Amino acid sequence: MATIIAPPIGAQAQAPRRLHISEYLRWSVDHKVIGVQYAVTSLFFFIVGGILAMLIRAELLTPQLDLVQNGQQYNTLFTMHGTVMIFLFIIPMWGAFGNYFVPLMLGAKDMAFPWLNALAFWMIPPAGILLLLGWLIGAPEAGWTSYPPLSSLFSGDGQTMWIMSLHLLGISSILGAINFIVTIKNMRPIGMGYFQMPLFVWAVLAQAITIVMATPFLAGALTLLLLDRIAGTAFFNPAGGGDVLLWQNIFWFYSHPAVYIMILPGFGVLSEVLSVHSRKPIFGYRAIALSSLAIALVGFTVWAHHMFVSLTPELRIPFMITSMIIAVPTGIKVFSWLGTLWGGKLHFTPAMLFALGFLSMFVIGGISGVMLAAVPFDVQVHDTYFVVSHLHFVLFGGSVFAVYAGIYHWFPKVTGRMLNDRLGQVHFVLTYLGFFFTFFPQHLLGMLGMPRRVSVYAPEFQGLNVVVSVAAFLLGISVLVLFYNILRSLREGRAAGPNPWRALTMEWTTTSPPPPHNFHGDPVPFDDPYGYGTEASAAYIDAIERRFGPSAPLSTERRNMPAAQGGD
Amino acid sequence: MQHAMEPNLTPQELQKLRNNRTGLLIFQLSWILVFVCLIVVNLQVRGNFPSWPPPGVERVGILLPAAGTLALIVSSFFAHRGFAALKDGDTAAFMARWRVTLALGVLFVLAMAYEWLIVPASGQYSQLFRVMVAFHGVHAVVIGMFLWRTLRFAGAGIYNARNTWAVEAGVKLWDFVMVAWLLFFAVLYVI
Repeated sequence: MATIIAPPIGAQAQAPRRLHISEYLRWSVDHKVIGVQYAVTSLFFFIVGGILAMLIRAELLTPQLDLVQNGQQYNTLFTMHGTVMIFLFIIPMWGAFGNYFVPLMLGAKDMAFPWLNALAFWMIPPAGILLLLGWLIGAPEAGWTSYPPLSSLFSGDGQTMWIMSLHLLGISSILGAINFIVTIKNMRPIGMGYFQMPLFVWAVLAQAITIVMATPFLAGALTLLLLDRIAGTAFFNPAGGGDVLLWQNIFWFYSHPAVYIMILPGFGVLSEVLSVHSRKPIFGYRAIALSSLAIALVGFTVWAHHMFVSLTPELRIPFMITSMIIAVPTGIKVFSWLGTLWGGKLHFTPAMLFALGFLSMFVIGGISGVMLAAVPFDVQVHDTYFVVSHLHFVLFGGSVFAVYAGIYHWFPKVTGRMLNDRLGQVHFVLTYLGFFFTFFPQHLLGMLGMPRRVSVYAPEFQGLNVVVSVAAFLLGISVLVLFYNILRSLREGRAAGPNPWRALTMEWTTTSPPPPHNFHGDPVPFDDPYGYGTEASAAYIDAIERRFGPSAPLSTERRNMPAAQGGD
Repeated sequence: MQHAMEPNLTPQELQKLRNNRTGLLIFQLSWILVFVCLIVVNLQVRGNFPSWPPPGVERVGILLPAAGTLALIVSSFFAHRGFAALKDGDTAAFMARWRVTLALGVLFVLAMAYEWLIVPASGQYSQLFRVMVAFHGVHAVVIGMFLWRTLRFAGAGIYNARNTWAVEAGVKLWDFVMVAWLLFFAVLYVI
């Protein structure tokens, strides 16, 4: 049964107040402001990490040293690139989406702990500055994985700042995750059970559970590494009775789940975008929701596959099996998304294009993950470009494509403006081609034996490396198109209206951008957040429009969506 | 932990209390894993030696730490009794029991600080011992300071039968200190 919101008298007259830029630069406990703060900060570090990637690819255009003077400088480039992209871009970017949309999707006025929410965000800029300042005193050069003894005995003092930066980011991450779990558990509206929640909220819940269970192990390992560097202990130094594998065990016990921390909210974005933009109820709602939890839990049983070459043989098989098992809940999601698309009325909006791009690229990353889970194969390609390719297919082809899909889907809600579709399509084409030709050839490089993390390589690898670098520059240019689109649309984009995609989740039942306390009155959720194609859903969406006014695409997309054909 | 006056709280106050309780519980479940991490470290490091402590290294004595542990357990009991008194509106009893909690907590910290100082340097055994004891000690001191603050505020009449969340949080955090220490005690002194 659909429930129509009764608009309170005068609600339509409440035009949303657009915040001045200075209001985003200071302490605020409004989850929407914090969400934007997370997003802008993350995008800044995306640019930083992207520039570092361009420098790496410029260096690798030729087999000898060109741009950097020695291997140490190159080590620093990839160390900072990986660290910035993972800890200062992807993870905080999901904090942006979660902060902005989880309370809105639950019909709540804010997060459970608004002050704590602000605190969690304001730990990120100093952590980022701390990391980058490390460059001035001897940059870290042990990779984002920071294996000892390179990170404990040889790396510069910037490695110590790297540790402190990650400590801050970890605490920020835990505080944010606690906030999400409490908000989702305690602040759902009456009538919204766990299995009526939007799948993005489910994904954030699974991510938050993973964070609170995994990140403490990173904190423990970082503390010991810090002590090894500054207090003379030898936890990771075999000369003092320590054990380098100790770091690898603990680090991967955090960092493999961290892969899911980086991808689970992306799964949630996919579920939202595919359903809305194909005007189709989500296929296998419960399977998608529960598979997120399954991924979160099984993710804790696979860490040693990162250490196959140093693992005792009898331990390899169990970790090979668990690593393959984790493909099952991921596969359940992929097939559910395909089932959602099947027979749907697909609208190839930029959000949809990136969601489809995610599906194609992430599946390649998943398959190469299963290949790496097989011990005989992994031992052959260990520490080669095959691994680099795999992780980028998951984290760029997966996470970043999902971030892009989320930006195109929710930008209208956050800003009240539509992004330009044509520029979005150009962005997608450049990204898709740039991404594929950057990372797919790296599979071949890896299988041919090119090791990763080297600035000087055998001349026979140059051809493929040139292809990779040129494509990487194209990928870099594609990002500029997104930023141009964002800046242009902020100034002159079409007004979005409350619900330009005619979606059923609750963030669309308020103005764009939403008012300070999110809703005018108490919103009532539609029974099925993915119940498209019914008269009840059409009536619900029409009621939103009557209350808040028409939405932007009424003049374009919706004309092509006759209600009789299940436009809603 | 149900509050005697909770039925009189507004829906907003109840929601806030519920959020606080859930948030603290999740924080405790999460943060205890740092202690578990250090235990895992201890177990992996000792697995690299033929015996533990390593040959030639003497195990630290258990008597003083056991007495300190007993003090910590009893202090936790008094913390709970103090909280019960506050819920019943008996602020004087709360303060008396809270003082006992703090005094026993100080004894525990002093005992472990002494242990930390006297353990002879012996490579992995002593550095693991020192890191684990110090890591726990920092938590005991910080949370102990929070308990002391609640005592002062209760003396000023800020906490009462209607406003008990800070005290409830203090009790739960002190329980955390106790549980974390019992885990460490088992690893450092028993197995």
